[in-house]
Amino acid sequence: MSTILKIFVFPASIIMMCYGALTILGGHITPGGGFQGGAMIAAGLIFCLVVYGLDESPFKLSHNFMAGLESAGALGYVFLGLAGLFASGFFLYNLGTDIYHIVPPAISTLFNYPDALHAGIIPYLNFVVGLKVMVGLSAVVIAFLGAKGTKEDYVDTKEI
Amino acid sequence: MVYIGPLVLGFIIGFILGTRIKQNPDSKLKFGASVFVVLIIVALLMAYQLGPFPYYTDSRLANGFLAALAGIIVGKLTFGR
Repeated sequence: MSTILKIFVFPASIIMMCYGALTILGGHITPGGGFQGGAMIAAGLIFCLVVYGLDESPFKLSHNFMAGLESAGALGYVFLGLAGLFASGFFLYNLGTDIYHIVPPAISTLFNYPDALHAGIIPYLNFVVGLKVMVGLSAVVIAFLGAKGTKEDYVDTKEI
Repeated sequence: MVYIGPLVLGFIIGFILGTRIKQNPDSKLKFGASVFVVLIIVALLMAYQLGPFPYYTDSRLANGFLAALAGIIVGKLTFGR
């Protein structure tokens, strides 16, 4: 890749990631949410991977990091669902807003998202979905880039 | 009154990403402090243009955007070495 791209892409990818974070955080008010924001953050990571390559990319995503983050995202979603189940009897019940008034106020306050709308657990669900999507989409590209070096193992170059 | 929800979650997302920034010593490209100074200026302009979310009246800037950038920089400074 050209030098101009190599200088430009790292700061641009950070701006893309910040915008992805903003999309995740506004999922309960504006168009967007966990999947869209996670995909935007993954796009920033992929941008770096494509331009710098797997070895020279400034973002080093190890296997353990990706596995841990994806697991944390999935477990966070399940935890929020089970918290609703145990506290109210409904899986994924929105404990923060508590529209049926069946949850003690202390639990309702604990799960309430502190912003202007008090959307309850919805922003937290967006957050954990964003983590999971970010890692999942990045892992696909990292796997493809990593498999590129072993092309000769699978393709007979004499036939091409 | 500042809403702490977007600040905290944005910072966490940025911090997770910032800890992954590790410079390759063999690479000729170095991204020093000047890159992050430019980033902060650009991010401030962008946050002003984006504005707050609907119904948010605490600030004229996109708080989550700036919190994510702060998280990236802090994550880079603490673990991303």
